Amino acid sequence: MGSGIHVGIDLGTSNSAVALFDGDNVSVVTNAGGETLTPSVVRVDARAARTVGRRAVRGLDGDPGNTRAEWKRLMGTGERLPFEASGAALLPEELSAEVLASLLADVRDAAGFTPRAAVISTPALFELPQNHATTRAGRLAGLEEVVLIQEPIASAIAAGWRAGHEGSWLVFDLGGGTLDVSLLETADGRLRVLDHGGDNFLGGKDMDGALVEWAIAALDRRGQAGGLADRTSPRGRRLLARLRMACEQAKIELSRAEHATIALSESGIDGGGSDLEIEIARGELDALVAPFIARSLTAVQGLLARNQHAPGDVARVVLVGGPTLMPALRTRIGELFGGRIAAGIDPMTIVARGAALYAGSVGLDATPAARAPAPNAGLPVRIEHPSVTADLEPFVVGRCLAGAARPDRVRIEREDGGWTGADAALSPEGSFVIQVRLERGRRNAFRVRAFDRAGGEVALATRGFAIVHGVSIGDPPLARPIGVARADDSTHIYFAKGTPLPARRTFAHHTVRPIAAGSGDDALAVPIVQGESNRAHRNRLIGMLHLRGLDRDLPAGSRIEVTLELDRSGQLATRADIPGTGQTFEDVAFVLVPTATVEVAERELAAIGRRAADVQRRTFQLGVPAAVQAIGDVSALLAEADRALPAARAGDVDAAQKLHRLLMDVGGALDEAEALLEWPDLDAEARRCKLTYTPLVAQWGTPAEQQLYEQELEAAGVARKRNNAAELELHLDAMRALGRAAYCRDPRSMADALDWAAAHVTEAMDVAAASSLLDRARAVQAQHPVIHEAGVGLRALRAIVAEIWELFPSPPELRAKSFDSGIR
Amino acid sequence: MIRAVETDDFENLSRAHAENPFLVLGVDPSATAAEIERQGQRLLSELAAGLDGARRYETVFGARARTSELVRSAIAELRDPARRLAHEWWARGLAAPSP
Repeated sequence: MGSGIHVGIDLGTSNSAVALFDGDNVSVVTNAGGETLTPSVVRVDARAARTVGRRAVRGLDGDPGNTRAEWKRLMGTGERLPFEASGAALLPEELSAEVLASLLADVRDAAGFTPRAAVISTPALFELPQNHATTRAGRLAGLEEVVLIQEPIASAIAAGWRAGHEGSWLVFDLGGGTLDVSLLETADGRLRVLDHGGDNFLGGKDMDGALVEWAIAALDRRGQAGGLADRTSPRGRRLLARLRMACEQAKIELSRAEHATIALSESGIDGGGSDLEIEIARGELDALVAPFIARSLTAVQGLLARNQHAPGDVARVVLVGGPTLMPALRTRIGELFGGRIAAGIDPMTIVARGAALYAGSVGLDATPAARAPAPNAGLPVRIEHPSVTADLEPFVVGRCLAGAARPDRVRIEREDGGWTGADAALSPEGSFVIQVRLERGRRNAFRVRAFDRAGGEVALATRGFAIVHGVSIGDPPLARPIGVARADDSTHIYFAKGTPLPARRTFAHHTVRPIAAGSGDDALAVPIVQGESNRAHRNRLIGMLHLRGLDRDLPAGSRIEVTLELDRSGQLATRADIPGTGQTFEDVAFVLVPTATVEVAERELAAIGRRAADVQRRTFQLGVPAAVQAIGDVSALLAEADRALPAARAGDVDAAQKLHRLLMDVGGALDEAEALLEWPDLDAEARRCKLTYTPLVAQWGTPAEQQLYEQELEAAGVARKRNNAAELELHLDAMRALGRAAYCRDPRSMADALDWAAAHVTEAMDVAAASSLLDRARAVQAQHPVIHEAGVGLRALRAIVAEIWELFPSPPELRAKSFDSGIR
Repeated sequence: MIRAVETDDFENLSRAHAENPFLVLGVDPSATAAEIERQGQRLLSELAAGLDGARRYETVFGARARTSELVRSAIAELRDPARRLAHEWWARGLAAPSP
């Protein structure tokens, strides 16, 4: 670790890049054409031969039916993209694998080995299914190990890993298709992600689109746009692709020059074969892209406001992505942040550089030697240390693996001769812990020496080790919480936002309905969701664990232990254990990013439009400022969905996907607004909980429950003051749980419960069973007319009441909302 | 109507609190950020090297198994000032339960 070569890959929408980190320096690998950027374009010809990168780009113009680009938005979907001549149809991850394989071949040519492991960057807003697809692409390209890093973190590492800047950072990453803005903080040399924001549908492609429309209008005015009359015809598509490339080229030129020419040779756009040229001034382009820049700044200001930051609080802004080279954009961002834009950074390769540095920090050695055994001569010693750290005096831990010739003491020396540690005696288990001293901001190589009692040197089978001093990020943080949906539509959070990966957690649940083995209806669903809401249905379903093929019947209320495990690449493993039967289930169906048909999306669009109107009306009636803010973008998003609809109808899968995502985003904003409109009810519920449960916990709670309750109560009070609905719901859930646990020790609670059950017995899942349990309870009550705390009667009644409650499940409508969850 | 049954929530809540980052890392709630990072990194190295002493930690609920996932999670939790504040509160309470 700390030595070897580390590979980082930026798998971009438009272009991809690969960088190497050798512990001292980062270098971007050039491809066979001598370029640092490889276009993310794949062409498959009639003989199924595949071309990637610059050579394939030509196909976008001349052979659009067999050339594909910009599939990144489709990652994680099951959408196969067809190649007409060969009849092949490839998944987005298979296309990504082609690009990755090309980049890995470039590394082989440059460094002399084919990487076995790499860090690949993904957008911060990618969800688990999209991350899965990226990892699969890496594996398909031949990588044994893939670790994912969010693009803004990679950018920040690259921009600041040796610079020693402290304070808040903003990473503004405007790619071909998406805008990611991230707020980070460096303190004591450690990088932390504060929050992400952005726009899934704003990128350089939108700016190119505006320029294309402007060019077509200009041609039309000259009577030369005839060939583009039908843009869906093969000829129209081909001409449009050519015009798009010419416009993109002009846009790039306008980053350096005041004027550019959109040149189309032998275009045929006017129906003939003449060359066409359209002059454009930078000012005209600036006016065209101004709305997109304004939208991007709105995303930035939203992120800052959400985190109580003013632009003046941001010490540095890092610009990432080709479109950030546009002077108009740089000027506007410079104005907002007082010119604090990090200089000397190539926005096109910064992500790949950061990914390579990150590979170094997690010790992901890409060389085949990383798998080679250590030299045989000498005593085997296992040395553990951080690969990259901000600590100038980190600990190094070692353990001698063979007992026979165990040395007496160990010494560590820095190879530059600048530091030698004191000898450390070995513990009885053959281990040692030594604090080493690093030189600031560079790679520090160490050797380990061991001595016997007589002072003679003992040969060790170790190559030594190296530690790089620099900004450390540690483990990749989870971008959004992941949990399990419960039948009452609540979410049990397993991993909070920012949880470092890998992570593994187990929690106990109970089933909500009886399941008969072999009945055909023996599948219990454990939905896995990702999102910020405490209400399950407001989060996104990302996986489903089905418990099928039970050995024996499982009564309602059976205990089930669910374990979720996420590895560094975002791969989710799920497991459920039923202690009562000893059965274990690991059958997880991963949910793909949904790709609804256009017809369904159209219906959804109409429905969500009506819902938006209703929420807007209620928001303004009730005058809740936070809700007004939550729905601020809804009209614009719906307008964008309307604009995407014609292209989606014409068969553009990217537009269909965009439409679907826009609908999800509008749904999310409306959910948020509705939650805010429900605030008065939630606030009243908080008061009710306090009045109901405080005396119960005080009288019947154990000291531990009382202590927990007090703290939850205070935390709920803070959440109320802050008007934070999600926080408040969490604390109320905890208060209810503690209150219920305490209440069941109150002898009167059993009588209350039985009275309620008797009044509602017809609503039970099994009326006969509920009636029988009630009879049993009445018999116990007759036998023990006075129920004492901790008495036999109370224990018996409690067991019966617990069984009765199992027969009153969550209302079906709630279960349906929570993805038919079978657990509570 | 309060459902007077013991639920999994209390068990899960106890489980979460037994995983208080200060307990997992074995550091005092007043530890500096640098001390926390250094101790976390030391524990990760000790766990990776298979040192017995690193494998368990004490809580009011009894001794618990310490894993590298728990340690990493604890370090990350304490990097967030707001979350650290909450954990400090719990850690002080859990270290000395009220009578």
